[in-house]
Amino acid sequence: MIKLIGLNKSFGKQKVLDNLNLEIESNKTTVIIGRSGGGKSVLLKHIIGLIKPDSGSVLVDGEDIARMNDRELNDIRRKFGMLFQEAALFDSMDVGENVAFPLKEHSKMTKEEIRKTVAERLAAVGLAGVESKMSSELSGGMRKRVGLARAIALLPEIVLFDEPTSGLDPVMAEAINQLIKETQRNFNLTCVVISHDIESIFKIGDRIAMLYEGKIIEAGTPAEIRATTNPVLRQFLTGSIEGPIKII
Amino acid sequence: MVLGGLEKLGRLVLYSLEEAGKIMMLFLSAVAWAVRPPWRFHLIIKQMEFVGVKSIFVVVLTGTFTGMVMTLQLFHGFRLFSAESLVGSTVALAMTRELGPVLSSLMVTARAGSAMAAELGTMRVTEQIDALYVMATNPVKYLIVPRVIASIIMMPILTVVADFVGVVGSYFVGVSILGINAGTFMKNINKLVVLDDIFNGLIKAAVFGLILSLIGCYKGFNTRGGAEGVGRATTEAVVLASITILVSDYFLTALMF
Amino acid sequence: MFSLSSEAKVGLFVLVALIILGYMSFQVGQHGFSFKRGYLVETVFDNATGLDKDASVQIAGVEVGRVESISLKNGKALVVLRIKPDIQLEKDVSAAIRTHGILGDKYVEITPGTIKTAFIPDGGAIEQVNRPADIDRMLSQFALITEDIRAVTSSLRNVLGGEAGESSIREILTNMRELTRSINTVVARNDDKIADVVENLKSASKEMEGTFIALNQVAQGLKKGEGTLGQLLRDKETGEKLSKTISSLQDVTEKISTGKGTFGKLVNDEETAKNLSDSLAGINRYVNKAEQYRTYLSYHGEYLFDTSNAKSYLDVRIQPNPDKFYLLGVVTDPRGRRTLRDYTTGGVTTRVEEYDKSGFLFNAQIGKRFKDIAIRGGIMESTGGVGLEYFAFNDKLRLSFDAFDFSSDRRAHLKGMAEFQIFKYIYLSGGWDDFISNQGNSSPFAGISIRFEDDDLKYLMTTTPIPK
Ligand SMILES: Nc1ncnc2c1ncn2[C@@H]1O[C@H](COP(=O)(O)OP(=O)(O)OP(=O)(O)O)[C@@H](O)[C@H]1O
Ligand SMILES: [Mg+2]
Repeated sequence: MIKLIGLNKSFGKQKVLDNLNLEIESNKTTVIIGRSGGGKSVLLKHIIGLIKPDSGSVLVDGEDIARMNDRELNDIRRKFGMLFQEAALFDSMDVGENVAFPLKEHSKMTKEEIRKTVAERLAAVGLAGVESKMSSELSGGMRKRVGLARAIALLPEIVLFDEPTSGLDPVMAEAINQLIKETQRNFNLTCVVISHDIESIFKIGDRIAMLYEGKIIEAGTPAEIRATTNPVLRQFLTGSIEGPIKII
Repeated sequence: MVLGGLEKLGRLVLYSLEEAGKIMMLFLSAVAWAVRPPWRFHLIIKQMEFVGVKSIFVVVLTGTFTGMVMTLQLFHGFRLFSAESLVGSTVALAMTRELGPVLSSLMVTARAGSAMAAELGTMRVTEQIDALYVMATNPVKYLIVPRVIASIIMMPILTVVADFVGVVGSYFVGVSILGINAGTFMKNINKLVVLDDIFNGLIKAAVFGLILSLIGCYKGFNTRGGAEGVGRATTEAVVLASITILVSDYFLTALMF
Repeated sequence: MFSLSSEAKVGLFVLVALIILGYMSFQVGQHGFSFKRGYLVETVFDNATGLDKDASVQIAGVEVGRVESISLKNGKALVVLRIKPDIQLEKDVSAAIRTHGILGDKYVEITPGTIKTAFIPDGGAIEQVNRPADIDRMLSQFALITEDIRAVTSSLRNVLGGEAGESSIREILTNMRELTRSINTVVARNDDKIADVVENLKSASKEMEGTFIALNQVAQGLKKGEGTLGQLLRDKETGEKLSKTISSLQDVTEKISTGKGTFGKLVNDEETAKNLSDSLAGINRYVNKAEQYRTYLSYHGEYLFDTSNAKSYLDVRIQPNPDKFYLLGVVTDPRGRRTLRDYTTGGVTTRVEEYDKSGFLFNAQIGKRFKDIAIRGGIMESTGGVGLEYFAFNDKLRLSFDAFDFSSDRRAHLKGMAEFQIFKYIYLSGGWDDFISNQGNSSPFAGISIRFEDDDLKYLMTTTPIPK
């Protein structure tokens, strides 16, 4: 279980997280939704210790990530996998080496086993046979999928996805949603997914949380969220311009 | 007005101190990670190729022409005292003690130090460094340690080459073109240059290798602000590393000779 | 096309560079048998001025060895030569220190011997040493001569030179002229009288002769012990007494000069002299130190291995006298300044530590030093604390132990470290920070410091090194 307690984070004068509290249940998929620029990616980076909070705690299995030093962080991150919003592929390596990276670093697989695992993961994201393409030669959607393959390469306990389906065509987006759902079920993973795609959040989310003005204003099962009376959440789900969310 | 100036000065001093401190800390952390297994020799070899092998051309070029030009200049001065035969040894001393290490370090700073800053800077702004952290691979160990070790090893080796081609260039101009007696040319080198001159120069080169790689990595590693930030980091790395090399050369000379 | 792997390229390049380095090291000085081959031969010179270690040893202008070492032995210069193994020196060779040209280097010239059967073994000695009949001696002779000449000319100049000298000479000349003129007139006028005087003189000298003869007789009498005075001088007892007095006088002076007796000891004993000069130097030092008001500026950085944190310290240490100092400084600690705050969520209160990372921590301490031990106290990293320091090896090594931050909810912050000076201004350190921490902050650390005295800064900025 991941527990966020009283998180505060400001960049200069801009307060991004404001005394945020959230519990992420183990072995389930939690979807975080929120306005663009609302701090979702920042929140995700807090969970994995890339950003340290100004105050508050991030408890992963009872240990406070915000208080950890580099070495302890390094150890606990072996439990994690993460897909970055912009994929963050190593552009000095080809696709195969990118996906193989976590395997080479942290598993005792032989070269042949690594090669096979890489091929499997790439096939799962619909990119069979692109191992030798350089990552700088990929399209945005392809990069995202390679990033996804890399994030789940080691099948870590906890996987964080920052907008896995943005920039993909509807068919591919659906396929990726399926992949996340299946992997989560088959390996009993804890997944945290950021998404703007209202349809897919109800498909893959066991729980859904809404981040608004630095706080989680509502969290619950898809059914609970659908039935919400919170005007902000209602406006967000229907995507209407009228409502408490100000565009400017 | 005056207070404003003072404040700016104070801020500049504090900023420089902070930078120096941070670079020192990066160095210590690199040392700490370098001694901790696993060691990634293939990464070091890759960087040795990049820093060393690929710099041979510029280093040979600068070394040769420095030796040749110095010979030309010294020859006209020394002829006034009928001391032409000392041209070779003077060039050899200057190359081994100062010019070899300093010039090749400056060339490598421009070639490899800037590339380090640009590469790490790009990795920083495209979150590749964060990705390394996330994959439980410490970027100091994975990115910086190999570059620093490779530079410390390759700089003295490049300097050996620079020293050598510098003297060869000097020999060519001095003996073949200006007609200095080949025997006395070599004899004076033999007499006036000692092994310590060469080795002290190589120690300097190793220190410069440390400086240029550390500063290149530091600037790249701490890049902020997109493509523009990468450009700024690269420029700053080259300027700061060059200045640091020249200043530390003074102190190293004071300590050694 | 075949292409090389990175490993092969790097390996090839390193190999080529090593070959070049090897070649270069044979082309520069100290090559050949400098790698400790050959055998050693000793010689003793009265004076080895200008001879350097590694200077050439030659026979008939051909190098046969190098000077291995030069040291002092019984007030003379003991020069050890390393001779090439294939060169044999006859027992009766002689050695001399000579110079290449007027400004050239010194070298040792060996003149071959004649006994072709006995040779000097390893560790043997060259017995015959020629005094330097070369430029050095000539120059020193020259110097003596010119010194004399100068002395003469300068005294001459004193007499003759200058206006005073000139006028007095002119005066003397005028006087002389006048004198001769008046003598002339006197002589001309008193011709007869002069003749009388001369006559008188003649007879007077005759009388004198007689007086001398008489005097001579008296002296002879004295010698034989005649008369009272003669008896006194001839008396044996008196003579003995006299010679005893003289010899005891001699004794005393001898004793003094050989260092017997209290006074002699005081004057002669080396230790006494050393003590005396030492205590003078000590007093001097003390006086100097008391006048010294020193300021040190230092930067110290620490990397904490276990917590992967870095701390920086910037300190000014003001030392009004050697056993007292004040320390002012700022510390940056990435952990920052700690405060506690309570959050209440859903009726549950969580106490959360907060760290203010923007601020500096401060040091303000006063310290006192007793010989090799110093104690400090005051504000340490913005909390109260005390410290103990121990100095060794002329202050090159410093061990320190600090205790501070005695807050109630956690253990005190204890820190132990050792610091060693590696270069003039640079120190390396290591230690253990917060070693009884119950906060997980305990960590070994390594650090580096740069420390300048205000004078050092001046020195560094102004002295240009002059390469040898
Ligand atoms: N490193 C940083 N330095 C300064 N400001 C930052 C930094 N990272 C994020 N921000 C700011 O924090 C806010 C939240 O950013 P974040 O990336 O979390 O948004 P988001 O919710 O992920 O948006 P999107 O859905 O568009 O990805 C933004 O206003 C951004 O400008
Ligand atoms: Mg985002």
